[in-house]
Amino acid sequence: MTATTLEPTTVGKAATVEFQGLRREFGATVALDGLDLTVRPGEFLALLGPSGCGKTTALRMLAGFEHPDSGAVLVDGEDVTRVPAHRRDAGMVFQSYSLFPHLNALDNVAFGLRMRKVRTAERRSRAAELLELVGLADKGDRFPHQLSGGQQQRIALARALALRPRVLLLDEPLSALDAKVRLALREEIRRLQQELGITTLFVTHDQEEALSIADRVAVMRAGRLEQCAEPGELYGRPATAFVAEFVGTMSRIPGRLAGPDVEVLGLRLPAEGTPPTASEVDVLVRPEAVHVTADEGGDAQVIATAFLGATTRLTVRLADGTEVKADLPTHEATALGAGAAVRVSLPQRPVLVAERAA
Amino acid sequence: MTATLTGVDVAPPVTSVKGRRRVPGWLAVVPLLVFTAIAFGLPALAMLNGAFSVKDQATGASSYGTGNLTTSLHGAYLTALLGSVKLSAVSAGLGTLLGLPLAQVVVTSRFRALREAVLTASGVLANFGGVPLAFAFVATLGNAGVLTRHLGLTEKGWDLYSFWGLVIVYLYFLIPLMVLTITPALEGLRAQWREAAQNNGATAVQYWRHVALPVLLPSLLGGLVLLFGSAFAAYATAAAMVGSSVPLVTLQIADAISGNVLVGQENVALALSLDMVLVAGLVMAVYLPLQRRSARWLDA
Amino acid sequence: MARRLNVWRWVVLGLAALYFLVPLAASVVFTVDVPGQGVTFDAYTQIVSTAGFGSSLLLSLELALATIAIVLLLMVPAMVALRLSAPRLRPVVEVVCSLPLVVPPIAFVAGIATVLKWGPDHLSRTPLFETFVAIQNPSFPFVLVLAYVVMALPFVYRALDSGLRAVDVRTLVEAARSCGAGWPQALVRAVLPNLRGALLNAAFLTLALVLGEFTVAQLLGFQPFAVWIYSVGGSQAQLSVAVSVLSLLVTWALLLALAGVGGRTRTASSRG
Repeated sequence: MTATTLEPTTVGKAATVEFQGLRREFGATVALDGLDLTVRPGEFLALLGPSGCGKTTALRMLAGFEHPDSGAVLVDGEDVTRVPAHRRDAGMVFQSYSLFPHLNALDNVAFGLRMRKVRTAERRSRAAELLELVGLADKGDRFPHQLSGGQQQRIALARALALRPRVLLLDEPLSALDAKVRLALREEIRRLQQELGITTLFVTHDQEEALSIADRVAVMRAGRLEQCAEPGELYGRPATAFVAEFVGTMSRIPGRLAGPDVEVLGLRLPAEGTPPTASEVDVLVRPEAVHVTADEGGDAQVIATAFLGATTRLTVRLADGTEVKADLPTHEATALGAGAAVRVSLPQRPVLVAERAA
Repeated sequence: MTATLTGVDVAPPVTSVKGRRRVPGWLAVVPLLVFTAIAFGLPALAMLNGAFSVKDQATGASSYGTGNLTTSLHGAYLTALLGSVKLSAVSAGLGTLLGLPLAQVVVTSRFRALREAVLTASGVLANFGGVPLAFAFVATLGNAGVLTRHLGLTEKGWDLYSFWGLVIVYLYFLIPLMVLTITPALEGLRAQWREAAQNNGATAVQYWRHVALPVLLPSLLGGLVLLFGSAFAAYATAAAMVGSSVPLVTLQIADAISGNVLVGQENVALALSLDMVLVAGLVMAVYLPLQRRSARWLDA
Repeated sequence: MARRLNVWRWVVLGLAALYFLVPLAASVVFTVDVPGQGVTFDAYTQIVSTAGFGSSLLLSLELALATIAIVLLLMVPAMVALRLSAPRLRPVVEVVCSLPLVVPPIAFVAGIATVLKWGPDHLSRTPLFETFVAIQNPSFPFVLVLAYVVMALPFVYRALDSGLRAVDVRTLVEAARSCGAGWPQALVRAVLPNLRGALLNAAFLTLALVLGEFTVAQLLGFQPFAVWIYSVGGSQAQLSVAVSVLSLLVTWALLLALAGVGGRTRTASSRG
């Protein structure tokens, strides 16, 4: 109900964010190496990548805490690169420990309004509204040390929304929380974001997290964008070997290029995308795409099984020693204990091919 | 007892033998408690006893009463007590005000060597009270001191053996003490707090006014009372600066112990000591809760 | 903005350096540039030959060693026991070790002087009288050791407490015992080596306290080093300042040495 009072104002202002050729070096390390990325109005975009890939630096540039050596940050087409952090109009939620310890939850949320010299009564009622929005209306008088990690992050979220920012920035806000709380809070964040329709950037190194809540996921590596796509496309049609292996589980099976096709496991499958120049290659396969059948005469062997619920993940060693992960429905996998001889095959579909790993 | 509890069903005989022979842990604490009872408890009791024992000058008989305490809060004694409080308050206040910026500069410095050097130096100087400190200042700003002679300070009305002279000397160990006390708190100020404040539209000034100073406040106040206590208890420095005309309670007590006052006033010295203990106790009573609150905020 | 910040930084550091270095420099100048004599190093060469220097320094060192030994013997077993088997006594020990902070040295010595007067006043016919005389032997006044141990308790408590916080004593002892070590072995071989930094720290703080202590010694009429400096100050100003400067340098060197030896342990404990 309270959301309705916030909704129109924010939806009306949903902003476009553009990173244009952002470059930043810290001493010898290049944090951003020419990042180009556009975030659509009202979109929930996850920045995903291993630590040190520059995703947090990009976010902090949008917040105004870091400054690019070259390139520009645009919000709604307006260059904000030189605007100081306290006038950026971008609400940020930090990894953890960012609530002011001397203020209670309500005053933490109302902090920004106090900086804007909003009248006490007005800012209190606004802050109370926001607390209700994050489901902590009854915790307004608690101090940060009296709140759980999950509650602290909800308060931080309310604080980030207090000034009705045009962009919401989330810097690994769930990484310090327990697994259960993390799941609950990430759904909460998604719900809020959709309710408010606010353009949101979410930094994470957890691919499952990124795939499950974002409209689009931007995978970064070494300061550059590898691929920006919807979760399904990212998983099913990764643009590069890096994306393929970073998002979800991938096994490498040695193969051989033959024209537009690749020979692998005695099959001849079309290679997807632009194949590498070398003819000795690896074929990248998802566990659910690998067929494993019991076969006394098979030259592959199950070496480990892991029960995952409805599916069971097998680790299979091929004749040449390569290990491949395969997911089977659990009822089919019961017959295949460690040591069982099996045959491995792939479906007749185009496969992703990468240079042979060293 | 232990054997019957643990050895009922499964414990093998070896365990129960060891269990019986094992010395209870609290025995290790007993020597410490006995020692403090004698070395600390006896003098403390003697002080209490003496402070409340009033000797009748005529008969020589003594009885319990608050006469000494009353005397210790009147006349020259009261002047000395108030002099000590004033000196301690002024130098602790200045030490806090001057120590904070120094600590802030050191904590945020990019040069590790500078940090280490200043912190080590503070560790030495904070303990550099006493006779050597007094003599160093006598050599610098005393009547025949180097600066006094070369800058002709005496003609300008300078006197080291005055209230402000003592303040300047005391600051020499109080500022480092403040640096040592406040440094952990400054290091505990998280970068996220500054960024979160900026993110909520706060300018640098607003950040200090609404976040940094309030968060530091318990540590600052805690440091202030610690400095006060340290200055209040200081005796050696003042005693070594002979000729000091500033009345201080520590000097009064020392005079009484050394027998430089009227006979029969020893117990007033003990009453003065009790006054000091009460002030110091008050200081601790203020300091400890502040310390606890600051630790809770900064270590969470 | 950044430049203004830097200027402010240098102003603060410059003023601090001025205030803290000028008295030291002036003291050195004072000792070598004597009015009427020109530049002379007599003050430094005379130190060793001045009556009382050797004996008072030796007395201070002996007192320091005795204090360190006793305070560690009392505190280490107690603190380890608090961690292992008697955590309920922890508040008691904490309060006992903090009490000396509430009693300033001058008040403490007033109490001691009163107790010592009981000897001749009330106990002259009892064997305790002998004890009272013995602990006031001027060549090694044990009563000072008693006082210094009490005064060192808060510092030693804090040093050992932070050291013990950084190591998990219980696990260490259990690991050592499961490897077949007895209780004494577990303590000596597993716990103490891990407390090296804390023990050094405690020992240094005690050493600094005893070497610089003036109040108690002077008022009880003994003459360790700090009292000796004071007593030569009246007659030989240059000499006393020279000794003051030297004593500061020695303290500094000791602390730096300690930082070098225990540096790693200390950073480890501050993180933990």
